[in-house]
Amino acid sequence: MSLKDAEWYVQGVLEQDRKILAKTITLIESSLPAHQELGQAVVDRLLPHTGESVRVGITGVPGAGKSTFIESLGVMLLETGHRVAVLAVDPSSTRSGGSILADKTRMERLSASDVAFIRPSPSGGTLGGVARKTRETMLVCEAAGFDVVIIETVGVGQSETTVSSMVDFFLVLLIPGGGDELQGIKKGVIEIADVIAINKADGDNIEKAEKARKEYETALHLLTPASSNWIPPVLTCSAIEMTGIKEVWDTILEHRNKLTGTGELREIRQKQSLDWMLSIIDDGIRDWFYGKPEVKKKLPKISLEVEKGLKEPTIAAREILFTLRKENKD
Amino acid sequence: MSEHQGKKKWLELAEKELRGKPVESLNWKTPEGIEVKPLYTAEDIEGLECVNTIPGVSPYVRGPKATMYAGRPWTIRQYAGFSTAKESNEFYRKNLAAGQKGLSVAFDLATHRGYDSDHPRVVGDVGKAGVAVDSVEDMKILFDRIPLGEMSVSMTMNGAVLPILAGYIVAAEEQGVSQDKLAGTIQNDILKEYLTRNTYIYPPEPSMRIVSDIIEYCSKNMPKYNTVSISGYHIMEAGANSVLQTAFTLADGLEYVKAALAKGLDIDDFAPRLSFFFGIGMNFFMDIAMLRAARFLWAEIMSRFNPKKPQSSMLRTHCQTSGWSLTQQDPYNNIIRTTLECLSAVLGGTQSLHTNSFDEAIGLPTDFSARIARNTQIIVQEESQICHVVDPLGGSYYVEYLTNSIVEEARKIMKEIEDLGGMAKAIEMGMPKRMIEESAARKQARIDMGKDVIVGVNKYTIEEDLIDDIREVPATVRDEQVARLKEIKSKRDNDAVKKALDAITKCAESGGNLLEACIPAMRARATVGEVTEAMEKVFGRFVATTQCISGAFSSEYGDSEIIKSIQKRTEEFMNREGRRPRILVTKMGQDGHDRGMKVIATAFADLGFDVDISPMFQTPEEAAKMAIENDVHVVGASSLAAGHKTLVPQLIENLKRMGGEDIKVVAGGVIPPQDYQYLYDAGVAGVFGPGSVIADTANRVLNLIEQK
Repeated sequence: MSLKDAEWYVQGVLEQDRKILAKTITLIESSLPAHQELGQAVVDRLLPHTGESVRVGITGVPGAGKSTFIESLGVMLLETGHRVAVLAVDPSSTRSGGSILADKTRMERLSASDVAFIRPSPSGGTLGGVARKTRETMLVCEAAGFDVVIIETVGVGQSETTVSSMVDFFLVLLIPGGGDELQGIKKGVIEIADVIAINKADGDNIEKAEKARKEYETALHLLTPASSNWIPPVLTCSAIEMTGIKEVWDTILEHRNKLTGTGELREIRQKQSLDWMLSIIDDGIRDWFYGKPEVKKKLPKISLEVEKGLKEPTIAAREILFTLRKENKD
Repeated sequence: MSEHQGKKKWLELAEKELRGKPVESLNWKTPEGIEVKPLYTAEDIEGLECVNTIPGVSPYVRGPKATMYAGRPWTIRQYAGFSTAKESNEFYRKNLAAGQKGLSVAFDLATHRGYDSDHPRVVGDVGKAGVAVDSVEDMKILFDRIPLGEMSVSMTMNGAVLPILAGYIVAAEEQGVSQDKLAGTIQNDILKEYLTRNTYIYPPEPSMRIVSDIIEYCSKNMPKYNTVSISGYHIMEAGANSVLQTAFTLADGLEYVKAALAKGLDIDDFAPRLSFFFGIGMNFFMDIAMLRAARFLWAEIMSRFNPKKPQSSMLRTHCQTSGWSLTQQDPYNNIIRTTLECLSAVLGGTQSLHTNSFDEAIGLPTDFSARIARNTQIIVQEESQICHVVDPLGGSYYVEYLTNSIVEEARKIMKEIEDLGGMAKAIEMGMPKRMIEESAARKQARIDMGKDVIVGVNKYTIEEDLIDDIREVPATVRDEQVARLKEIKSKRDNDAVKKALDAITKCAESGGNLLEACIPAMRARATVGEVTEAMEKVFGRFVATTQCISGAFSSEYGDSEIIKSIQKRTEEFMNREGRRPRILVTKMGQDGHDRGMKVIATAFADLGFDVDISPMFQTPEEAAKMAIENDVHVVGASSLAAGHKTLVPQLIENLKRMGGEDIKVVAGGVIPPQDYQYLYDAGVAGVFGPGSVIADTANRVLNLIEQK
């Protein structure tokens, strides 16, 4: 892409220009150092205009109806005057690197709205990149005047913990299942939930959903809540029939009010800022290290040796890291 | 020589001819996964459950009638409709005069989806892929001088099935024909719409109620009318192989039977009026066997409901030759393809048949191509002398073996569906759709690799395209329809219409028969859109969830060099640009044929693209907004229903207006070569007709993105 100067992006975002907002996100997501540098400059200048939105993370197993839920919630929010941005992180195929981004097919009304912005992003192959990109994208959306930002992830990997470290509120969406109530969702994901919503509580499912609700409630009681002022409730809803959606939103607002009152929300965000700084440092070290010509030269060779069993992994790792130490002495 | 000795001798001879290679090297695995050997003998069909039966007797493997075509040949029933009711009517009457026996009406997509012609969402659809019908007035013109008491009329309608069937009943009534005289078929097969073509309106549950309301009403008032045409055709066209077509179609049928029984109807009151509709492709013997296997399985399925009438378990079917097998390249070859498929349907024992026109991969049939298509059947029926003997392939070792294989394989899939709780549940879980899409992606990969030969496409290709006679629907059709709507609305008794519409809404809410409620509204000149909306208030409009499988395309391809070279190109692109090439695949207008779009999405993702998929039924403005928001490099618009000349240029205009002039637009699908220049002039960067090889398409798209 041809690059404009930072001013062009900053002005465009602040003027809520949809195209420039989209281009800014592309910039942030780019794997090229030149793009990233410019992206950082843009984010730096937009930061004073951020922080005002309700940040909600939503996850759930594939098939839990996340996109449909976001469509229902989002449309309801639009009707009450909110401007909603949705960021969806989609897994890329490890084999080809390509991805299919189909979230919007289930957000028909939201994606057609002028006051909503939906951006699905491929998770890409980069290490730890998702976190930085998603957080900065969220901030850019805030600067563009979106007062609710929803981040959607597939609830099977570590991306949830990452996302929960940048949102105010984390919602786990489940469906009434038969027997196996944990549905392949990691226990760790349940632990970071601020609310669990049992979706698809409609038709024949209502009873099952209610049963699942009680079971999760019991399960949650066994966990220590992250905040002494907030015990994560378990709700039921039907995204298709639009029932229980308002209750979920009310819960989000209640959480916000409570934690704002106790000052916890501020603390959470301060803690998140610190995490953010550390993760930028992490990313920086990583990029710097793997970008070293010496490492670039040696790593493939050593990797092959480890793969073939010619060298122990521990020894190999030390050997590579040693290069670094040696280089630094030079 | 005994059977055993004979086989031994043959093996010796065969291996000698093969110069030492084992005879198994000649085995062929069909797309269905059935292993086919080079020779079948009596021992291959020994003890098979479906051999040695009699035509006209359960399980009807050899045909539902005792005398089949020897008694009465199949009905030549050509599916047609375009433009206005008046134009379609003229076309029908010409065809009937030329030897066609039954009518089959194609409606435009606006009508299918329950929108009147003046609705803003259907600007590109009116009169394009079928005839536009907004009210009884259009219906009356459509059947003008066609005696509905004598002519059997088949109507392909699923979404807006209630206003259309009600309109047909009222049009007949005003011709002086009472309901009990009406013979024909309404497709009314909503389940497959959720699987393939997407021309539904309401969610599955109320839609199933509509199906059973129609079954109920007709079983009481229209005894000669086929209430559901359970359709495998669209399932095949979406890419399903013959086993999948059989299994899913019969499972759909079973679901309707259960729904009607749940209404309290007696099996024998409605089951004889259920008919089927199968698609016949180029796998000649397979699809003969498919029809025989389907009859066997249906008799088996129905036996569990203990019907008294033999007709209740008798599968009667209409067939259509495959549209997917038609090519845009060297299109006269399609006449030969259609002839073979026609023969396959006839040897399989169909009750009626539509043969495609050779130009249908390019556009709407012309008078000339429609005549050739019709004559294909007439020649087989009247010149070839094949009608004299019932099921002439009965007893063929190979055909009987294939029949049995399909029975066994389809049974397994149907069992899986039953275990999920029936077809409606299975569809909800996405199981059949996934299997169809996988089958489609694999087929595309086989074609691209030349494993499946298509003459003129991947073998024996020629340079020039020959056809220049194309039927085009004038853009004025919509204006005519809109003007007539205005006139109707000004002349009718609007209070009476409102009352009738309210009654429909109430009926939708509280129960009662919806067809019964829709007839007075249509009689009072309510429009298709108004009647649809009256129910939409209660039922809502259904939005499809698109899911896409990945990996199927590249796994069929294996580790091919072409695939690797494109993956390398996308990888290099990313290293250079900081992200992968990103494409938005979209469908605009009311055209719900999404196979092409999905095959492209799956394949491009496998090739290393990031692929965005838009919701169905987009307006050009919505598609443009999505392209800009997702900041894609290119938008691929798929069009199979003649909307490309309106919708694609509008997409480009909208992109420009929103500042996305750097986003390239390409178009694919059924687009006549004549229109290419028009599209290029409108700013389209590339056009990909049917038969485009995916690898070439991907490379060309990459070229476009890279040239700035």
